[in-house]
Amino acid sequence: MGTVYRLSLRQLTGKWRLAIMTVLAVLPIIIAAIMLGAREAPSLQEFETGVMGAMLLGSITPLVVLAIAAAAFANEVEDRTLANLVLSPLRRWEIAIPKLLATITIAAPFIAASAFATSYIAYLGDWRAVFAVTLSSVIGVALYSAAFVFLGLITTYAIGIGLLYIVVWEGFFSGFVAGARLLSIQHYAIALMHGIDPRRFAFDNHLGFLAASIITLVLFAGFAWLSVRRLKTMDVP
Amino acid sequence: MTDKASPVISVNGVSRWFGSVVAVSDVSFDINPGITGLLGPNGAGKTTLLRMMTGLAETSTGTVTMFGESVRNNPPLYQRIGVMSEHETVYDFMTGREFVLMMGRVRKVPNIQKAADHAIELVDLVDAQHRPMRTYSRGMRQRMRLAATLVHDPEVLILDEPLNGADPRQRVHFKKLLQQLAQSGRTIVLSSHILEEVEELADTVLLIINGKLAASGEFRAIRAALNQRPYHVRVVASSPRALASMAVNLPSVDAVHIDPDGGVVILSRNVQDLQMELPRLAQQGSITLKRVEPLDDSLESVFGYLVEN
Repeated sequence: MGTVYRLSLRQLTGKWRLAIMTVLAVLPIIIAAIMLGAREAPSLQEFETGVMGAMLLGSITPLVVLAIAAAAFANEVEDRTLANLVLSPLRRWEIAIPKLLATITIAAPFIAASAFATSYIAYLGDWRAVFAVTLSSVIGVALYSAAFVFLGLITTYAIGIGLLYIVVWEGFFSGFVAGARLLSIQHYAIALMHGIDPRRFAFDNHLGFLAASIITLVLFAGFAWLSVRRLKTMDVP
Repeated sequence: MTDKASPVISVNGVSRWFGSVVAVSDVSFDINPGITGLLGPNGAGKTTLLRMMTGLAETSTGTVTMFGESVRNNPPLYQRIGVMSEHETVYDFMTGREFVLMMGRVRKVPNIQKAADHAIELVDLVDAQHRPMRTYSRGMRQRMRLAATLVHDPEVLILDEPLNGADPRQRVHFKKLLQQLAQSGRTIVLSSHILEEVEELADTVLLIINGKLAASGEFRAIRAALNQRPYHVRVVASSPRALASMAVNLPSVDAVHIDPDGGVVILSRNVQDLQMELPRLAQQGSITLKRVEPLDDSLESVFGYLVEN
């Protein structure tokens, strides 16, 4: 398992990918600093909805994860190197889970640093708020990773479909349609954030902490299971 | 290494279709230790068949077993198999040695460093093993891929176009290596478009044409079985036209024509009789025979004939 994990880390940390992720991760920090430094600073609700919710959890986090997760298997399928792993005595979960863990290992530090810095600036060093934002962002990374790793296994258009999901579902529907929030990773992360620090997103409490925790766990395990199952049933090029 | 009574690989009634396209149709054969060549024109279904034989692809119908076990989704079985696909892509951020070590580790090879040393020595790439694989020539990449395929000392080797990119010296080395492996009891399935080499190497050939098994068995036995097709014999003689007019009357000759270089091409279903009659004919006509050569005693011609028919 360690060999596949190390291999995946090396595969997924190309210079260009890391550069794009760095730029994306820095964006919320810059925007938070600009907004809070402006003459007419936004209200807390506006800031949480716009920067923390829509931008950090609904756009930057899934984009950073998509850039890595979609490639976790897609590159191996495209380069036709997946057979090297599949035709080994490794069980399928010993291939899928290390790929997922490698994706989280790479994406989580970028998003955690971005969430930490953005919330530290916004909440003026309120450690409970900083902890809530950082932890829920990392949980968001894990769930987006599981979903996008699976997506990379079922289609060669993972990037396109993933972008469509981020823009249409997370960006549009979940912002306007209350019911859509029950099927939105962004809103699970928001519910977790609210659960850890009830002062945060108090206006957007559609989902309870317990429900969000259970859904997150079930979906994470579900997508991981689907990836393992897909590896078992797919024709490997 | 295996029970001699049962085949190492058994393909039973295997078909595979993609939508309305039938890639492989009801193919059955057994493979035993030694070298088996898998041959067929491009698009014949060879690679699809190899992928089903290794468990990479599902069969639409039929079964593939290796050592009596199903090959599909059977990770413990893969410990006994080495597969080198036709695709030459490698992890080019790795050095050759790192690649071989990685392949050994995922195959849980004990004493991995020693196993990697041995595999890299076998393919004669000791000097280049610490270079990134992106700096390798095509032939070197193929050889390092072969080392990675051999690192766990598999009992069965399935090699799809393994000689791509190899220079003549490497081909000789590779052939010797395969022969050594076959002599030590391994089962090797080799697909190649270099027909002469398969002919030299393979004890048995499987001819796949249009997704079907057109013929299987020892190459010369297959060739002899193709007795409906006349052999082509080219004769260079001092008087080609005279020889052609005399030869056409022989009972062993089906047809005669003269090629653009002035050679007499004789088509015969009875080469043994032709061998006897030709010198006699030359003597009668005072014709000097400068060269007599079979044109079609190669896999390529058998191949062409089977494809045409």
